[in-house]
Amino acid sequence: MVFLTLSHWIRSRGPDRWWRVQEVLKHARHFRGRKNRCFRLAVRAVQRAFVYATKGRQKKRRVMRKLWISRIAAGTREHGMKYPILISNLVKTGVQVNRRVLCDLAITEPRSFQSLVALAKARREEGLRAALGDGKEPPGVFSRIVQSH
Amino acid sequence: MNTNRYSLRRNALAVALCCRGCFFCRGTDLPFFPNMAVVLKVACRGPLGSLRGCWGFGRPQFPLLLEKQRAIAVPVVRHQGSQSIKSPPRSYVPETSLSKPPWPELSVIDPVEEAKQHQEVVLKVSSILAEGKYGRLFAVVHFASRQWKVTNEDLILIENHIDAECGDRIRLEKVLMVGGEDFTLIGRPLLGRNLVRVEATVIEKTESWPQVYMRFWKRHRYQRKKIIVQPQTVLRINTVEVASRLS
Repeated sequence: MVFLTLSHWIRSRGPDRWWRVQEVLKHARHFRGRKNRCFRLAVRAVQRAFVYATKGRQKKRRVMRKLWISRIAAGTREHGMKYPILISNLVKTGVQVNRRVLCDLAITEPRSFQSLVALAKARREEGLRAALGDGKEPPGVFSRIVQSH
Repeated sequence: MNTNRYSLRRNALAVALCCRGCFFCRGTDLPFFPNMAVVLKVACRGPLGSLRGCWGFGRPQFPLLLEKQRAIAVPVVRHQGSQSIKSPPRSYVPETSLSKPPWPELSVIDPVEEAKQHQEVVLKVSSILAEGKYGRLFAVVHFASRQWKVTNEDLILIENHIDAECGDRIRLEKVLMVGGEDFTLIGRPLLGRNLVRVEATVIEKTESWPQVYMRFWKRHRYQRKKIIVQPQTVLRINTVEVASRLS
């Protein structure tokens, strides 16, 4: 005699719960404490981790740019010039090398970096000379201050 | 007020001129300040010897004696003195906030000299290029909206799709800079196509690992999760070559 109705009474709540839970836990396996084992705690930790990762990717771009700028500034100061002057004069000469490559050049190609610094210095002096002009006052200018010499 | 100022200045000049005759003041050159206030100060001390160290005008033979003494005394003093006071030149202006203009002093450039120097540099670089006396060259290349500093045998990972197939040889045309050990060529902004040649091969075309893009606002029951998979291409830079002549 075989009892067939017993098997009809067994319900399967959802055949894939284990796999859904593992999908979350696999991202939490390297966490510390109970959040690498227990689903309820792991869910929250994994959510926060994903959010921090997205925000970190956006911040990484800013941080890297700051790093490049500070390294370039250090390199220019070694050669007796400052970062804003370097960048403004390189832009004026038409050199469009970006900060990431400038940083790499400052580290691995010191002579090329020095030549860029020298270029910027020359352009700066050229600009100052153009601004100073002859050194004479333009004609037809008078002022209230009486020169007594 | 003007006449007063003028007369005071004359007094000061007279004082100074007399002072020059004095032994002590010859040693210390009183700097002639252009500043009016200082001139007034000098003049107000009075014409009669109240200037420090200035010996009196009332003794006409004194300078003559001093001259004689000076002829003897000064060489002795010179040999002795490691601590003799050196007199600054007459054009000396003490450093104040207004003594010099705020911009840096620029040297005078001779255009002929400058052109000569430029030509020398160009000749040197073209001789290096013509003889081929350079080792490994680097190039700064603009590709896929990014700039890369590239040499031979480099691998580059580009985060987008390229129309070339795997194994295709590609020429990277936008070169910003090229350099070796002894020379650098800087383009403004690009170097000519006939000057530099950078060749690369497409090695691999894959997708990146699945990156999770998640947004979450606390206490608002808002969260969005998206999986981003970027296409990637790997390039191997084969050669960086420079033309043998600078045109």
